[in-house]
Amino acid sequence: MPKTIIDANKSVLSLDLKELFHYKDLFYTLSYRDFKVKYAQTFLGFTWAFIQPLMTLVVFALVFSRGLQLGTGNIPYILFAACGLAGWTYFSSVMSQAGNSIINAQGMVQKIYFPRIIIPLSKALVGLIDFAIALLLIFVLMVFYRFSPSPNIVFLPLFLILAILAALGVGIFLSALTIRFRDFQNAVPFLIRFGMFFTPVAYPSSLLTDRIPEWALIIYYLNPIAGIIDGFRWSILGSDPPNVLAYISFGVVVLLFISSLFYFKKVERIIADIV
Amino acid sequence: MSDIAISVENISKRYLIGDTSKGSVREAITSFFSENASSKKENFLALKDISFEVKKGEAVGIIGKNGAGKSTLLKILSRITEPSTGRIVIDGRVSSLLEVGTGFHPELTGRENIFLNGTILGMSRDEIKSKLDEIIEFSGVKRFIETPVKRYSSGMKVRLAFAVAAHLEPEILIIDEVLAVGDVEFQKKCLGKMADITGQGRTILFVSHNMSAVRRLCSKAIHLDDGQVVYTGDVEEAISNYLDTNDTYIESMGEIAWNVTAAPQSSEVKLIAARIRNNEEKVKTQFDTSEEITIEVDYQVKMPVRNMRIVLKVSTHEGILAFASTDHQTRETHTQEGFYRTTCKIPSYVLNKISYFIEVQFGIPGMKVLIPSVKLFDFEVENIYSSTGSYYPEKWPGIVAIPTEWATLEVTEQTLHPLNK
Repeated sequence: MPKTIIDANKSVLSLDLKELFHYKDLFYTLSYRDFKVKYAQTFLGFTWAFIQPLMTLVVFALVFSRGLQLGTGNIPYILFAACGLAGWTYFSSVMSQAGNSIINAQGMVQKIYFPRIIIPLSKALVGLIDFAIALLLIFVLMVFYRFSPSPNIVFLPLFLILAILAALGVGIFLSALTIRFRDFQNAVPFLIRFGMFFTPVAYPSSLLTDRIPEWALIIYYLNPIAGIIDGFRWSILGSDPPNVLAYISFGVVVLLFISSLFYFKKVERIIADIV
Repeated sequence: MSDIAISVENISKRYLIGDTSKGSVREAITSFFSENASSKKENFLALKDISFEVKKGEAVGIIGKNGAGKSTLLKILSRITEPSTGRIVIDGRVSSLLEVGTGFHPELTGRENIFLNGTILGMSRDEIKSKLDEIIEFSGVKRFIETPVKRYSSGMKVRLAFAVAAHLEPEILIIDEVLAVGDVEFQKKCLGKMADITGQGRTILFVSHNMSAVRRLCSKAIHLDDGQVVYTGDVEEAISNYLDTNDTYIESMGEIAWNVTAAPQSSEVKLIAARIRNNEEKVKTQFDTSEEITIEVDYQVKMPVRNMRIVLKVSTHEGILAFASTDHQTRETHTQEGFYRTTCKIPSYVLNKISYFIEVQFGIPGMKVLIPSVKLFDFEVENIYSSTGSYYPEKWPGIVAIPTEWATLEVTEQTLHPLNK
């Protein structure tokens, strides 16, 4: 028989993964809800998931490839940017949705108990649908350019997992912080707009490695998604392997994710009181 | 294995008041640098060192006036918020219903919302799947189950939500005054289902202001006052204990009896009691459209007054005044000292199928207000007996639904345009 113990002095250091697993169906239904709501009553429905990245790629190509004559070696620029965009879009959308998720679920949070972390976690799954569409787009483009995928593609899942951890790590931190400080609601859109320029989305990171000093590059790779996007390109297109410094990025991601869980756990206890 | 389902030991809950609880970064920074910035915050103890035990299979009511800590206790027991001190051990699978339909999303269909709400309540998808037909049947909205919930009437939404909640199979059920929402039919269904649950030996904790509901459901009750347990034990004892210490008034399903010291009064008049009933002297708060509704007000006139009048106001819950009425014309100019009972009868087939509330006010027109508006009751009008042809499954637009006479005649064109020819 299940026994629940509510103790004011319980340790913050237990994450209670068993309970989380018990609520896995809630995780799926919340994801399903977000997915359904996103495309409900839109005329073009799923087509939107193609139109958005496609238009962005056209703009990128115009500005960076035509305008600035940015070289991407033997990789067609559109294909190059598409990989960066797929990673960045996943990261930024999951991060911002997860960040706002608790605030948006106030009604639920004040009326019923469930592990609150499920709310931001569920955002990662919905983002994967758009990511899959972006991948599909990349492979269509590859066929179009007669560009064969690199054998490194076996490593793609690894980088995908890192991308999920990165998006959730930041998102969970943001969701917990937003409960306390509404200021973060304003900061996130700004962070996203700003962050894209500090991420090798539209340009190769090699553009910077030769031109900025080492210390600046370290800061650059503190950006959790920077190294992951290098990794995406390497695994899909066979471009330069991730920079040594990119491994800082991976380390940051894992640390960020784990610490976000604990920080969230700490704030979780007072969510209903202050939300 | 012990027979204790819930054991609460020394639970306190402290809130910080004085701040808006919605922090801003600036506030955090200032309070970090100066100690006294946070001193404007005050501690408020919503629960003070509470301990009690609930045995398995017991149905326990939690009663107490507003602000006594009932909701806080409920929130702690349902793990929505954590206690500041103390420890609770709950033995068994718990479901708490502080609201029905938590998480309902308007864009999703009825069926999808059953899954969403069900999983929020802690059911697994398989469990919901196996009960799906039963839930849909119970809800009575089968025809609309593939329709987005935003197209539902509020009544349909509540029925669907309750259908999900009713199919939870917890060993321990914690319920807030969810019964306060919904139509009469729904309330009956809800109470019936809850009685079933107790019948099956489940443990129930029920928070309510509704003494008759507490009586009907619970064998024991806990009386909370000012964040402390003042009485635990037999339900009748607890209710009378509560009524004794209650310094405002007692409301129990359509009847108010004011406490001597807390009754609304002026130097001229003092309210004693009020009730709402049908023609058969049955006090209640749910009426059929075919019933006449009588409101009784008992009061004491402490010194002779001239031109006193009583005004009753009936409003919808959105705050729209449906109508007001006064006894001005029917009353003697002089009212002598003494005790009085004034009744006002609302004819049948006037009110709509919605819930209303009644206020009463005493005054001397053009001179002064003796007793400003006092809210008496919430009541609901339903169409339970649909013997006549005019049965509407949902409420009619408007705040009243008065009987009107309609007729259609077939006529010649000349009758309509006599000047054209």
